Amino acid sequence: MTTTLQQTAAVATEGGGLARKQNFLTAMVGGIVFAWLAWYLAHHFLDASSRNYSDLVTTSLTFGWIFGFWLGIGALNGPGRWLIGADHTRADDLYYAGENQGRKRYWKYCTDHKVVGVQYIVMTAVLLGAGGILAMAIRTELIVPGNHFVNQQVYNGFVAVHGMLMILALIVAVAGPWANFVVPIMCGARDMAFPRLNALSLWTLVGAAGLLLSVLAVGSLTMGWVVLAPIADQAGVGMDFFAMAIIVFTVSTTVAGINTICTVMTMRTKGMSLARLPIFVWASMIAAALGLYAFPYFSLVEAQTLMDRTVSTSFFVANGGGTGWLQANLFWLMGHPEVYVILLPAVGALFEIASVMARKPVFSFRTAIAGMTGLAGLSILVWAHHMFTTGWAPTLGGPFMLTTELISIPTGLFFLVIIGTIWRGNIWMKLPTVWLFGFIFNFIIAGITGIYLSDIPIDNQFHGTVFVTAHFHYVFVGSVLFGAIAALAFWYPKVTGRFLDETMGRISFWLVFLGVQVTFLAMFVSGFKGMPRRYSSYSMLFEHANFVSTMGAYMIMSGMLVLLGAVVRSWNHGEPSGPNPWHANSLEWMVPTPPPLENFDVLPVITEDPYNYREELVRS
Amino acid sequence: MSIDTHAEHDTHGHDGGHHEPPEVVDGRQRMAIWLFISGDAITLSALLFTYLYLRGVNTGGHWMSMVGLPTVGPDGHSFAFYQALDGSTGLPDGHLITQAPLSARLNWIVSILTLVSGLVVWAGEKGLRATKNTRNFSAVAWVATALVVVTMALTLKQLHSIPAIFVAVNDSHTMSYTAYASTMMVIIGSGLVHLAILAFLGVGLAIRSARGAITGDKWFQARLVRLFWVWVGISGLIASAVTTTINIIH
Repeated sequence: MTTTLQQTAAVATEGGGLARKQNFLTAMVGGIVFAWLAWYLAHHFLDASSRNYSDLVTTSLTFGWIFGFWLGIGALNGPGRWLIGADHTRADDLYYAGENQGRKRYWKYCTDHKVVGVQYIVMTAVLLGAGGILAMAIRTELIVPGNHFVNQQVYNGFVAVHGMLMILALIVAVAGPWANFVVPIMCGARDMAFPRLNALSLWTLVGAAGLLLSVLAVGSLTMGWVVLAPIADQAGVGMDFFAMAIIVFTVSTTVAGINTICTVMTMRTKGMSLARLPIFVWASMIAAALGLYAFPYFSLVEAQTLMDRTVSTSFFVANGGGTGWLQANLFWLMGHPEVYVILLPAVGALFEIASVMARKPVFSFRTAIAGMTGLAGLSILVWAHHMFTTGWAPTLGGPFMLTTELISIPTGLFFLVIIGTIWRGNIWMKLPTVWLFGFIFNFIIAGITGIYLSDIPIDNQFHGTVFVTAHFHYVFVGSVLFGAIAALAFWYPKVTGRFLDETMGRISFWLVFLGVQVTFLAMFVSGFKGMPRRYSSYSMLFEHANFVSTMGAYMIMSGMLVLLGAVVRSWNHGEPSGPNPWHANSLEWMVPTPPPLENFDVLPVITEDPYNYREELVRS
Repeated sequence: MSIDTHAEHDTHGHDGGHHEPPEVVDGRQRMAIWLFISGDAITLSALLFTYLYLRGVNTGGHWMSMVGLPTVGPDGHSFAFYQALDGSTGLPDGHLITQAPLSARLNWIVSILTLVSGLVVWAGEKGLRATKNTRNFSAVAWVATALVVVTMALTLKQLHSIPAIFVAVNDSHTMSYTAYASTMMVIIGSGLVHLAILAFLGVGLAIRSARGAITGDKWFQARLVRLFWVWVGISGLIASAVTTTINIIH
């Protein structure tokens, strides 16, 4: 930190008025007060005899919640000050960056990218935890045929909310924590390009999560996480919360995506050419660009659902000239690219881990980038494979089958790069490496079963069965979650200065790894026999496979709880790691741990690529 | 990775790179605006996809007509009553649509007004850079904002007129908008949201230039706002062109 920074830091904590008292608590209060106010006004001024009355009141309430939450956390301070020409001073910027505020800054609208990264870790854990509890409830219901752990409507709601919570959790699981915490440092930057937008993306996600978690309390959903029309038009007011949560979430991802791309493209330090850019940074940037393409569809489809429910439009209602196929198209135009928005950052992190732990450069660096770019490009041309059995445009089935199968080529390049990187390497079998190997095993199963489902004749048989469920759980749990945990184990020492507990981490790995195989291989079996998705009761034919799946799910949950224990315990009591425990070469390992505000005393100049491991390092 | 932590002073000034030149910040913000416009263009394409798709499918023949539906509305009025509110005598079809309050004509007027207001900001920005006169720029920003407010009023009139025209009656005798009205409503509504943003930005430009936050030497933000402003005008023209052309061609 320079002298200039230290001198101004003293000013940063003085004065500031109400804006400097804002935190998570004031955000909650603001959200609740404005939600109540919006509800009260809507309740009194809208026509109670209207068939849209309850949806209008509910939607007003959700608007109030988001506005109040933004106001309470301080997200509107910046735009307000811009409007009146009173821009932030350097002291203001340092205050919002959390200078001299200790742990309180984690509860605030803090602009320091490292604080935002840690906040994302917590948010991911909250979303995964909530979604995981619902998963356990679903599996408990399915443990025996005819079980009545929850009633059918509640069960359907659990399935829908579990699905969307997990999707949101995995979208942010790697890109949220690590594109924030390490990407700016990897680029040689002092922060993200737009620090206040960075905080906005995080706290907007928190606001959206609040709405999504409320869905079950206010009236559940019955149509799965894709909230298919026209059933979505007939759902309870939980659907209004759900749609608004998604719209708000897309604001968060759009802002975050723009920020990531601008950071990488405009804030790289001298000498950090694109060819020297770490592969994780590439992955984060490509995923951000793909998200920028995909999420407007998500926002629009939920806005149209909300309009059908609140103002009687007919986007998806046949009586007025709409069609459910429009919803399906718009949803899957987002839905398939979104899979790779989730997957790419995890794969990028695993490339880093493979290189560092095998003490070798990333194998065929340019192939890896070509694979990620090719995957992103192809992913926008495959959406209709989700609609093979709906009857929509049957003549397009062949082309969409072809584009879907082509995806296996860039995906295969990922395997090539990872295997090539660790091949004959001096592999350091630490916790991140263990999860990396788990990923390789699971991703093979995910990929091969994906090829089955891309073939129309086979898809016609398996569509709507739990075979599909098993496939995408191998993608999301077996692959993305394993990548996310590997990334956590890898960069945890940079955040805390301590290793993630190796013993607990390995116990967690084996529980989760075996749990995934037990749960989802059994689910392949029941799917192969024809068990349909989203049913709370089933034939005796599927009894054994479901029992085994539920036991496997309990194993996964046990493993995740052990991992949570490891994270919490290691935070203060883990083995000290020092600034560069993996002897890695990329910039984030060259700064102190934890990295100081603004990361570097002086910006570095890069003269070599980050994977130039030499023989003496191998021996050490 | 090999790094040299001493070379910085030669390349980024004498403070270790803590303070960046305005040009560098401007370049970054311009990239952000272009990315935002790209995302907005995706949204526009999705909106137009919605319009074209529903028009092409024309489910039950209800794209914009009420043929085949019950002849009496829930309040006892005939459909002719609703159509008469617009002065039309027949079912709204591809011909009548050009005369209705949701007409292409009004769409074009709204879009052109928005683009003109954007060009006003552009001219103001050029003047600011050439003459360094912040007072003139502030006045120009107020004028552009006033144009946007007028355009917003016209847009509200468009939205307000929808219930009187393109309603369908469901089997359960509840009213809903036809697919045509629905798609126009979301396109016009999206335009209204953009206009509200422009009004906010316009007021900001006016106040900031009056307070010296935007000057002849610090004009970068004016260019950023202008980029977005002009894009909103162009996107409106694209929407008008698509929705007009497709209704003329049968």
